[in-house]
Amino acid sequence: MPDGGAQLYIRPEYEASAIGAADHGDVARTLSLFERIRNINAIRKLSILVGLVVLWELYTRLGDISELILPPFSATGAALLQALWDENLIVMIGNSISVLLMGYVIGIVIATVLTTLAVTSRFGSDLLGTLTAMLNPLPAIALLPMALLWFGLGADAIVFTLLHSVVWPVALNTHTGFLGVSDTQRMVGKNYGLRGLSYVAKILIPAAFPSILTGLRIGWAYAWRTLIAAELVFGGSIADTQGTSSGGLGWFIFANQMDLQIPHVFAGLFSVIVVGVLVENVVFRKIEEHTVARWGMQIQ
Amino acid sequence: MSSVAKSDRAVPEITVRPEFVVDDIGEAAIGDVARPLSLAERIWDINAVRKGAILLGLVVLWQAYTVLFDVEPLMFPTFTSSAEALWNALVHGDLLSKIWFSVKVLAYGYSAGLAIAAVLVLWATASRIGSDFLATVTAMFNPLPAIALLPLAMLWFGLGTASLVFVLIHSVLWAVALSTHQGFMAVSEPLRMIGRNYGLTGIRYVIKILIPAAFPSILTGMKIGWAFAWRTLIGAELVFGASSGSGGLGWFIFEGSQNLETADVFAGLFTVIVIGLVVENVIFRNVEMRTIVRWGMSR
Repeated sequence: MPDGGAQLYIRPEYEASAIGAADHGDVARTLSLFERIRNINAIRKLSILVGLVVLWELYTRLGDISELILPPFSATGAALLQALWDENLIVMIGNSISVLLMGYVIGIVIATVLTTLAVTSRFGSDLLGTLTAMLNPLPAIALLPMALLWFGLGADAIVFTLLHSVVWPVALNTHTGFLGVSDTQRMVGKNYGLRGLSYVAKILIPAAFPSILTGLRIGWAYAWRTLIAAELVFGGSIADTQGTSSGGLGWFIFANQMDLQIPHVFAGLFSVIVVGVLVENVVFRKIEEHTVARWGMQIQ
Repeated sequence: MSSVAKSDRAVPEITVRPEFVVDDIGEAAIGDVARPLSLAERIWDINAVRKGAILLGLVVLWQAYTVLFDVEPLMFPTFTSSAEALWNALVHGDLLSKIWFSVKVLAYGYSAGLAIAAVLVLWATASRIGSDFLATVTAMFNPLPAIALLPLAMLWFGLGTASLVFVLIHSVLWAVALSTHQGFMAVSEPLRMIGRNYGLTGIRYVIKILIPAAFPSILTGMKIGWAFAWRTLIGAELVFGASSGSGGLGWFIFEGSQNLETADVFAGLFTVIVIGLVVENVIFRNVEMRTIVRWGMSR
């Protein structure tokens, strides 16, 4: 309203005579046993899991689905046990994990060197910025053909691609974490006379640990995906050259799919899920509890 | 009781250090405190110039290494021949149609994944069983690399785009659903109450209160989902892209390496990097600027 003051609306007053049935029912009562059981988180989630398994089993049995398309749960379980006992699935899991660990550890070392360079000099920081911006969006698996050319068929090529999948996310997150460390903490470090490596180890790393941990998690997720993909594609050729037991989990899945052993494919997928859940919910959870959560940097 | 304990305690001694005067504080010359920077320094202070110089330096290093050491072009082609291969593939070859194929499949999978994630999260916010279901299923499927499902997908949907889309959905769905749900759970109580005060319920409550309030974590989920999907797509095309007719970018790379046209492989890698950069720094950056940065939720 450009020409005058605001108008004041006065609504007519009225009285509500009846406020309806304002009956509260029971405000507090003891829960029945059933309700209390339902309130336990684990039980609800477990029953969902059991329900899904039952649905799966029923669907495949009643729908008379071919085992080639979707094997029933029981067949999958049997295949998993058989693979674990007789077909050294455990060795294959071990192979995958040892390759993964090698790539992951070397990747973290390289990322550490790069970020240390980046915090100590402007040139290092620019170099890291350019390299991560360029190489982080490049899926590591796309490098596998080149890696095979350079390092030959074998674990080396896979380790190289794993390196690539770990280094950039870890370096990127660590560097942004370092840049975000508050000046107060930096000054405390300088007051104590810390410089160089001890400054990085005692001030920057603990202060930036939440984002370092995020980087490690993303790096793990990429590395795990890259490893399975690499084994799916080229695991076969590697297993051919070095004996069948040296292939990994991805190769187990691929080989069984080729042989149309679909229950075994599902067993392989189960193992992939189990390894993933273990690493994410046990290993990283524990690291988080012992560091970030204990230091009070993260609200639980 | 406590006052007795207090009086029992010994009074700490106060140490008084002798005073002293420092006559010589050494060379306290500061040098120039402020001076106009020289032109070279000012140019060097521009971020883009420094990064451009580094990029240029890397390219020169690459070229010099391959030319001077006479590296087999099969193993490591020179920069110029890679650039030439890229140009040839773009202008004379069918790289553009391959890029288009990849991007199209990715867009299908991504949008279908987002839609399914939206339905799941809506169910999860509406009921406890939905929330339990989402938590159980994401805990199970999020750690499973989507590419591992590709063999099964090919069995179920045949060789073709459908199985690629299925795998892409799987790679997007869980990451997005997980972080969206976490974002919804973390929406502060005052915001929820405001929504209820306005009489918003059901879908309008979700759209007008929960989604804007949880947008930072929704965006994070979408970014992670994109990263997984892009990696999965390239991986899937590297493996089985050939079978789906025209094939995409991953197939272009694979073909190049099979034919030992290493320069083509590098051209493909360039393209992958460029698309990744565009999506991350143009599309997502713009969405961020228009939403969470403008709303003051992030800097």
